[in-house]
Amino acid sequence: MTKLRLSFALSGVVFLLVLAVAPLKDFFREWKWYQYEYNDLITELPQKVKPAEIGIKQVWVRGLDRIDRCGTCHLGLSEPALQEARQPFRAHPRIDHDFEEFGCTVCHEGQGAATTYKGSVGKVEYWDKPMHPTKFMEASCGKCHKEKEVLHAPILTAGRKLIQESNCAACHRTEGVEKQWTPSLDGIGSKVNRSWLVNWLKNPKAYFVKTRMPNFLLSDEEVNILADFLMTLKTFPHDATLDRLPTVLTSGTETQREKLAELGATRLSEARCISCHSINGRGGTVATELGKVASKANPAWLYSYMKNPKRLQPGVEMPRYRFSETELAAVVASIQSEFVDYDMEEQPPHTPDPSYFEKGRALFKKYNCSGCHELGGMMKAEEMGPDLTSIGAKRIYEIDFGRSGIEQALPSYLFTKVKSPRVFSPTMKMPSYEFTDEEAQAITVALLGNTEEGIPEEFKVPAKPQSTYAPQGEFGKLVDDLACFGCHTMFGRGRLVATDLTLEASQAQRKWIEKYFKIPYSLRPILPERMPNLFVSDAEIKVMVDYMEKVFIADSVEREVRVDQARMAKGKMLYYEKYGCQACHQINLKGGYVGPALDKAGSRLKPGWIFHWLKDPQAFKPETIEPKNNLTDEEAEALTVFLMSLK
Amino acid sequence: MKSLWQRLFASQVWRSIFRHGLPESNRTRAEAVFYNFFLHIHPTKVRKRSVKFTYTWGLGGLSFGLFIVLTVTGALLMLYYRPSVPQAYWDMKDLQYVVSSGQFLRNMHRWAAHAMVAVVFLHMLRVFFTGSYRPPKEFNWVIGVVLLVFTILLSYTGYLLPWDQLAFWGISVGTNMARAVPFGVGDNISFLLLGGNIVGENALVRFYVLHCFVLPVAATMLMGIHFWRVRKDGGV
Repeated sequence: MTKLRLSFALSGVVFLLVLAVAPLKDFFREWKWYQYEYNDLITELPQKVKPAEIGIKQVWVRGLDRIDRCGTCHLGLSEPALQEARQPFRAHPRIDHDFEEFGCTVCHEGQGAATTYKGSVGKVEYWDKPMHPTKFMEASCGKCHKEKEVLHAPILTAGRKLIQESNCAACHRTEGVEKQWTPSLDGIGSKVNRSWLVNWLKNPKAYFVKTRMPNFLLSDEEVNILADFLMTLKTFPHDATLDRLPTVLTSGTETQREKLAELGATRLSEARCISCHSINGRGGTVATELGKVASKANPAWLYSYMKNPKRLQPGVEMPRYRFSETELAAVVASIQSEFVDYDMEEQPPHTPDPSYFEKGRALFKKYNCSGCHELGGMMKAEEMGPDLTSIGAKRIYEIDFGRSGIEQALPSYLFTKVKSPRVFSPTMKMPSYEFTDEEAQAITVALLGNTEEGIPEEFKVPAKPQSTYAPQGEFGKLVDDLACFGCHTMFGRGRLVATDLTLEASQAQRKWIEKYFKIPYSLRPILPERMPNLFVSDAEIKVMVDYMEKVFIADSVEREVRVDQARMAKGKMLYYEKYGCQACHQINLKGGYVGPALDKAGSRLKPGWIFHWLKDPQAFKPETIEPKNNLTDEEAEALTVFLMSLK
Repeated sequence: MKSLWQRLFASQVWRSIFRHGLPESNRTRAEAVFYNFFLHIHPTKVRKRSVKFTYTWGLGGLSFGLFIVLTVTGALLMLYYRPSVPQAYWDMKDLQYVVSSGQFLRNMHRWAAHAMVAVVFLHMLRVFFTGSYRPPKEFNWVIGVVLLVFTILLSYTGYLLPWDQLAFWGISVGTNMARAVPFGVGDNISFLLLGGNIVGENALVRFYVLHCFVLPVAATMLMGIHFWRVRKDGGV
């Protein structure tokens, strides 16, 4: 009995002790130690920093309905003196958002309510939004910022660009991403040879490293069936037919052909094909590889295509060069003699599968080829892959990780999926794009940002509406025929490979533009020459420049500047001494080579443009590195006078 | 010193609280139990056999003790918890991360709740195996079973209150089970429990009221009867 009482008493004491430990544990909580540590740390600093009051700190973000207590330990967030301090005390890098207004977790994710390290990072049970790893941080910018280019978020912007260029929209629903133009397959049987097609289907990148066509990882059998199927497609869109090759090409003598090829080589370089096309891996990547094109497409097709690209391939952004028939034949001759793939594997003769057509069609459908490629009579495919519009809100329990063995988190899932699309299950159909780690990271960032979860309407920054600019009349026809939008932007439409032409006539003088069409050259010594010589006629140049002078012009950029000797001298002084413009610009081959050369600026530019540009360069071109020097009107005018004198 | 005690015992305050003298005789010992609210629950005389610890294992008393722990911690939790959809989950997070000893309170409440279900069940087993349900105790057995059901209901209604996924689906499953009752009654039971057709704001308030008021009060009353019967039947 006494034993029982003793053990009763003892257990009572033990329970009492346990009870006493609980408030102690509560008193010495993790965050308190961090705050003591912070207050010690700031006494070691040379600057005076306000010590932290001991207690939990939180921001209540009303607009986003969040409470974040990260500041309890991250005490130096807005303390410039702590820029190099150890975590969790380091100052936050400068951003354009106020923490008080946005809080922390709207960008970083994690558990804002937590006051422990583990809890706030959020890799704990029952918390499905752990913190974004640093390399995917920019994903959160994408939650509100739906523009194509997000300032200060280069990875996100790169990811969105990649998603657009890789034509993910062909199979997946995505918001704000347009489908890309891809060649129609009608007539492919009359264009390419079967050996090339087989090699291409096996691995498109072996032919053209920068191609946007992914590798569908087809088996040899599938490749053969698909190639047989595609080779039966002999008719071009709208029943267009190939032109007959000129006789010089088909039955000319050896010397005739050699001479022809020589002329063709000259025309090819004048036409600057490599501005868009790559030739054996060098040159532009906008259009396909030409280095081995003679082993891919037959001469009749090359001839007819160059004669009028849009006839065989509607919608293609290839300009119609104004070549004469002889010149065209010459170019084809040159291509045939030079752009040959001597290593191409000739396919052994094979007997097609008896039901290759049906099987090939089925494969074409299975891999959703028509997501990208048009094929007469085939339905343009609806999206096949999962919807990507809110993929960033996907929960972990919605993801099948298969046997991949990767970290079970959304970022690592997306990254792995983009890198090796079929790793989660062999029955998946997504092709391999062979993205580099950086590219896959950028795409993952962009995809993670595809969510609007918890973002109120007033926080969203929508994408700019697409430009609807479409030039009409003669000019419109020429713009289409010469594929100007392929490189130039006008009123927000087109690529920015070359100059934005929206204010071209305010900037440049008529005579100069006219001459430029005849002999295009690069204004900047640092850039390769890219504008092709399109061999346009004088009448066509007149049409284009007339239109430009009416439309590509703004009255606000007009300004007459009075010329006198005093201003001239002052302008020269400002140019060479006060602002040292020669650091970037050349005059008579003297000076830097970053900016455009300014020789003959007086015969190229208009005074109003020079004046306004000098006053505020970024107003015209936000990304320009020309410094805004806050010139007075007087100074800008003097410089204008000086530059206009360089004829 | 001794006189000080005697003066205390003789004072009017003392005598108004304890009407009897010190338990020095059989009579005063009996009176000490009779006149004390907390002790009167015990019978004045108990068989020696039933005092033996291994006879009852103290399970009834443990259940009552856990009920008290749950009431106290529950009342403290009620100070911080608001049964509304936007706040319930975050109040729980606040208890966990901000309120002094909040996590300790939650843990105490949770573990005591688990323990109470187990202990009450064991108590029922003990009563069954010692045959203590036999006449004249059959009515108290019935009350005991009702109390077991109340314990389980308390546990179940408390499950919804954290308002997390576990809670939501737990209650969805439970009320769907109620829906399976035939003759068109099931849907009505489920509707009554949830205050609607899905687990939402109404369900949360209903479960909160059941958990914090209706069920504890009903259980307390039944416990009073249960203990009183035990006393009348000469149990501990």
